[in-house]
Amino acid sequence: MLDIAKTAVAAARAAGAEFADARAGADERESLTVRNQEMEGIDRSTSTGVGVRVLVGGRWGFASTSRLDDADIERTARLAVEMAKAAQRLPGDPVSLTPVEPAQASWRTVVEEDPFTVPLEEKVALLMEASRTMQGVAGLSFAEAGLDFFRRSTWFASSDGAEIEQVVTNSGGGIEAVAVADGDMQRRSYPNSFRGHVKAAGFEHIRTLGLIEEAERIGSEAVALLAAPECPSEVTTLVLDSGQMELQIHESIGHPIELDRVLGMEEAYAGSSWLSPGDRGTVRYASDLVSITADATLPGGLGTFGFDDEGVPAQRVPIIVDGIFENFLSSRETAGVVGQTSNATSRADGWSNLPLIRMTNVSIEPGEGSLAEIIGDTDEGIFMSTNSSWSIDDKRINFQFGCEQAWRIEHGRLTTLYKNPNYTGITPEFWGSCDAVGGAEDWVVWGTPNCGKGQPGQIGRVGHGASPGRFRNVQVGVR
Amino acid sequence: MASVTGDMLGPDEFRRVADGALALQGADGVEVLLIHEWGGLTRFANSEIHQSIAREDTELRVRVVKQGRIGVAASNETTPEGAAATARSAFEMAQVVAADPMWPGLAPPSEAPDVDRFFGGTARASAEIRASAVAEVIGRCASGFSAAGAYSTTAVELGVANSEGQFCWAPSTQASLSTVVTGADGGSGFAETFAGTIDAIDAESVGRTANDKAVASASPKTLDAGTYTVVLEPAATATLVGFLAWVGFAGRAYLEGRSCFDGKLGQQIAAPSISIWDDGADPRTLGAGFDFEGTPKQRVSLINDGVFRDVVFDRRTGKEAGRPSTGHGLPSPNPDGPFPLHLFMDTGDSTVDEMVRSTERGLLVTRFHYTNIVNPMESSITGMTRDGTFLIENGEVAGPVRNLRFTQSILGALASVTMVGRDAHLASEFFFSASRVPALKIGEFHFSGVSDH
Repeated sequence: MLDIAKTAVAAARAAGAEFADARAGADERESLTVRNQEMEGIDRSTSTGVGVRVLVGGRWGFASTSRLDDADIERTARLAVEMAKAAQRLPGDPVSLTPVEPAQASWRTVVEEDPFTVPLEEKVALLMEASRTMQGVAGLSFAEAGLDFFRRSTWFASSDGAEIEQVVTNSGGGIEAVAVADGDMQRRSYPNSFRGHVKAAGFEHIRTLGLIEEAERIGSEAVALLAAPECPSEVTTLVLDSGQMELQIHESIGHPIELDRVLGMEEAYAGSSWLSPGDRGTVRYASDLVSITADATLPGGLGTFGFDDEGVPAQRVPIIVDGIFENFLSSRETAGVVGQTSNATSRADGWSNLPLIRMTNVSIEPGEGSLAEIIGDTDEGIFMSTNSSWSIDDKRINFQFGCEQAWRIEHGRLTTLYKNPNYTGITPEFWGSCDAVGGAEDWVVWGTPNCGKGQPGQIGRVGHGASPGRFRNVQVGVR
Repeated sequence: MASVTGDMLGPDEFRRVADGALALQGADGVEVLLIHEWGGLTRFANSEIHQSIAREDTELRVRVVKQGRIGVAASNETTPEGAAATARSAFEMAQVVAADPMWPGLAPPSEAPDVDRFFGGTARASAEIRASAVAEVIGRCASGFSAAGAYSTTAVELGVANSEGQFCWAPSTQASLSTVVTGADGGSGFAETFAGTIDAIDAESVGRTANDKAVASASPKTLDAGTYTVVLEPAATATLVGFLAWVGFAGRAYLEGRSCFDGKLGQQIAAPSISIWDDGADPRTLGAGFDFEGTPKQRVSLINDGVFRDVVFDRRTGKEAGRPSTGHGLPSPNPDGPFPLHLFMDTGDSTVDEMVRSTERGLLVTRFHYTNIVNPMESSITGMTRDGTFLIENGEVAGPVRNLRFTQSILGALASVTMVGRDAHLASEFFFSASRVPALKIGEFHFSGVSDH
């Protein structure tokens, strides 16, 4: 497959490209879903092809095809050149790439147990048992369990001489209990919502999740929510669990620090950012307890790789240090705007798409204390757990997020259970009100395998290390 | 001139490829779904083209049934041998799962509506054609304003063949040009054209509309959150309709008591002026005349004169309901069940100007952004206004306001509709396909927060 990428690069250069890179790719996916001990879906898919990116006259062109004979590869490379020439129809500054040392390398996710070779019977049996255990809870309507496996093999070549082979493997699983009664529906998920806990790992990760062991508790919690009162509307202290902190980091820090958004390149679709290129080192993003790092070398993270899709080696980058914003996520095209070289965040949703700036593993650095200790240290407030809904404006300022369940905190203890909790805030005010960040004991590397961005829409697989957090003066119970 | 990549397979080649899967031995049933998509996209920002791309890909998705046990596999190897290998993979999976007690069987042979939605000029649209249209949009920008957006031209070849003898195949095309024009002092304006052919794309109009809105929305004032009368332009209406499909019109959620319409069949749940239906055969919509199971798409009246009438079904939920499939099946496996992809809202007799003139105090909303569900059974959603939000006072547009966050029940909003636009537009939604909907005037619409721009 590396030869396919090299053929595409050579053809693009022959057609007039000043620069070209190509990614030949093969994706494999397997997904299983059980609901009430019935198989909802079991499928496998594969996708193979090549994408060619070129610069002609300082303009990008890109073309991709699933047809991999030499004639089609060469035709696709010429098409990419034609795309770039058409882009010259409008005036503009030529694209300038920051330098990178061309690598000849290979990299792969550390996998102890290949998830694609684990027998289907074993996977189905695990899901059936988790579903059966949840169904044992009286009053539960739906007991769902799912597994997802993903492997992306990429062969990258560039006209600078890079030749990189990379294999990324992800495994994930989760359970979901749904209780429906009297016009109400309540849901609990474990270990996290939206298909559970996905990591860069093999099937050994699935064996650590405890899907069967936690099934009864999750089922009971869903049923209990039906009888719980609505989360009251008030301004109070808010404690978030690690899973909701993942979402909070993703939406209100991860996206606004993408330099392509800051430069307006996503303006018309998902929006831009409240940050400006000159904000590095000057803007207070959060309280001084908050430090955020983008680390593409983090073991287990969905944003972990050897090289990004421009051939730039993975890096660990400080984003927010003691509350001060320090660095954007950048690509070879954008990094020069802020006087830097790429910090390796340009990734595509497979061979058929153009790389965009994507989060790697954007994580909050652990603070001190467990979740129990943070709650114990809170006199009055609300504790929310497990994301259920998210919405944020086009500059990533005004957000409103929902969770599956909440509890009243009174004198350091959880008292009343609430359903349908949500909260709203303004990004820098909210992060500025953070007065506790949990320690390493409750710090979890979560995966977000469904991050949407770009046109045509691309799905990114990104990671977040997150521990619980506490925020003051937050509006909860929005209606 | 650049040419698009990817030649159409055509029905004969699809049949030859599908036969590779349909020849699978030992199965009770085999279904082959072909989705072949190709086209180009020109994306622009800061009034420059920054992405110019051409893509082509195929998915061959095979569903195999053995004694009610179902396995699905997919690949993009579009050959008889590739189809056969994919079928074997699906068969392997079907061996290890329990039978589906609600398995309805594969779609029987039937004739799909004869809709002609393939425009060769759109399938072949060159990057130069798109770039010229983009130049037209950018050329409408006032001094100090710039445009961002995308012009997409796409062709899709959809085919379904199964061992019951059903065979359907249809190509279609889509073209969409959208832009956000922004400028100093917070001005921002949006416009879009979404159609089956590039001939319907009026770049000058898109650019002018977005620019005029951007200029008019500069220097917005902050308005307190609260409940306001709103005039929603079609793009904003499309958000309400798209999310109502998600929380209400899907047959599976309804059968399971998870729909916001649970217990409301035959009840007046919206203003009498509101009628919504789904009709994949209507020439004013896009796509094929059959669903992803090979069932012809039926017209389904969902809300008629404000009364909730029905939901949509695929074959499995249809069996559960004791009803035939309405032709709303999605690619298998599909735990979410059927979904309406061709929604229409009936028009009224008002213009947006008339809605504004009849409003003492309210808001004119161009579109919503990043909407999501708050409480599905209450049809409650939240999202932001974007790209042109204006205060209406004494029947006139008084000036721009900063974006507001709404948290609102969709059914509550539809019950409060007082005027319906006389023109319907095909409008896309951030998460969903396009709906053909008019502008609405809604008496009470709740805004729960305010942003800084």
